[in-house]
Amino acid sequence: MNPMRMLAAFWRLNLAEELQYRANFVASVLGTVFYMATALLTLALFFRHTTALGGWDYWEIVVLLGVFNALTGVIEAVLRPGIGQLAGEVRSGELDLVLVKPVDPQAFVSFRRLDIWRFADVVLGLALAAYALHRLHRVPSLAQVATFGLTLAAAAVVVYAIWVALMSLAFWFVSVENIAVLFDAVYEGARYPVSAYPGALRFLFVYLIPIAWTTTIPASALTGRLRPGSALLAAVVAGVVFALARVLWRTALKRYTGASG
Amino acid sequence: MSWTRRYGALIRNAWLIDLQYRASIVLWMLWGVTEPTIALGIWWAIAGDGRIGGYARADFARYFFAVMLVNQLTIAWDSWYLDRWIREGELNFRLARPLHPAHEAVADNIAYKARTASVILVVWLIAAAAWPAVRLPLAPGRWAVTAVAVLLAAAMRFFISFTTGLLAFWTTRATAIMELHAGVSLFLAGRIAPLSLLPPAVAGVAGVLWFRYMLAFPVELLTGAVYGSDAVLRGLAGQIVWLGVWIAAYRVVWTRGIRKYGAVGG
Repeated sequence: MNPMRMLAAFWRLNLAEELQYRANFVASVLGTVFYMATALLTLALFFRHTTALGGWDYWEIVVLLGVFNALTGVIEAVLRPGIGQLAGEVRSGELDLVLVKPVDPQAFVSFRRLDIWRFADVVLGLALAAYALHRLHRVPSLAQVATFGLTLAAAAVVVYAIWVALMSLAFWFVSVENIAVLFDAVYEGARYPVSAYPGALRFLFVYLIPIAWTTTIPASALTGRLRPGSALLAAVVAGVVFALARVLWRTALKRYTGASG
Repeated sequence: MSWTRRYGALIRNAWLIDLQYRASIVLWMLWGVTEPTIALGIWWAIAGDGRIGGYARADFARYFFAVMLVNQLTIAWDSWYLDRWIREGELNFRLARPLHPAHEAVADNIAYKARTASVILVVWLIAAAAWPAVRLPLAPGRWAVTAVAVLLAAAMRFFISFTTGLLAFWTTRATAIMELHAGVSLFLAGRIAPLSLLPPAVAGVAGVLWFRYMLAFPVELLTGAVYGSDAVLRGLAGQIVWLGVWIAAYRVVWTRGIRKYGAVGG
């Protein structure tokens, strides 16, 4: 059976289910608007006392916040509802139901469920970034938009790989059901440009857990700070990280014994 | 049965439940630590070698370490529990017990905070050994007053969280209201910055409402930013007044909510 057709069937069911709860759409958008407002106010508070953070001015960081929100939308719409459940299923043995399906378990677990309303966050985030670019009087060239698209896709792949890696940990440490909290905690660091952090924190967010790059690089592409070589490097890094996550997933899956075994 | 024995049993029970989820609790704690760490990082960069609103780098470091500790000691997750208890009917068997469900919630809070805050305290002590900026001067008197303020703040945040959770009797979005409150308290309670760095009008609102007394006041007591018997007594009075208001709100909401809840089953 074609795995795409199977996933499409799951998404159709998923969509029908979500359409019953249309009020959730309004609630989700209001929540995102409130969250964006607090982020902008926080930024405004910092800029009451400074004119630049790590060499970025106010509206440049707003572009970055837009990217952060768009990426959050991808996480909330695709990753949390699907792969976010994995740790619980490993513990309870429900993963059996996934493994008996005639598809690649990693692909299925990753994309089986979509929280479609949260895709609105992607639109809102990109709109915020566009508005900030307007305030900067910057019209990105076609090449810059293409670079942005490439680096944003690379960032999404990196975030996905981190989720796969975190969730794979559940095969070793069965008790950590809410391991996604670990991601949330660290992902907060991506709200500001890498250069804004002092030495020790920069080391943490940039090299130990390379989360900060996921927003800094695409935002740099839009504001014209990015050198073309960096975009290619980002794509290569995304490929490598994806491959590593795949290896880790395979190794982890070997440890799974199932509900009956 | 005496209250000490009841609470002894409840706290031991909560402690043992938490013990099963040690890894999860560490994760939740990490979440409480990153926010102040990031805020400290940004203020550290902004302050440079100067001062902003009276805060130099070392003052920011002390402030945000105190935020980590006091926030962990005063935070209350009860609205999430109550929302679930009410929506999924888990409140029923708790109502059937010869003990008000709030006591179980209080015991949970004590066990959780004893475990997590002591970890943060140890981390702070280790940090202080290596990093003079986060050392506090030895001042037992001030620490004693801070302990009282922390207790009042913890009680107030418990009643805020519990009362908001009770709104689940009427709405499915009680936790969303709590998130809204958390968003506002990011600024008004001093989680993102000391209140003296906010625009004066906003800081004024924080002092008139309950937000300052939730976190910023005990934190500033601990760091020494609030001193002098006048300011300390005014702060404690504010805490007591708002604690009273939230207890009153809790009583109203609990009585009406239980009446409504009973009506659904009957």
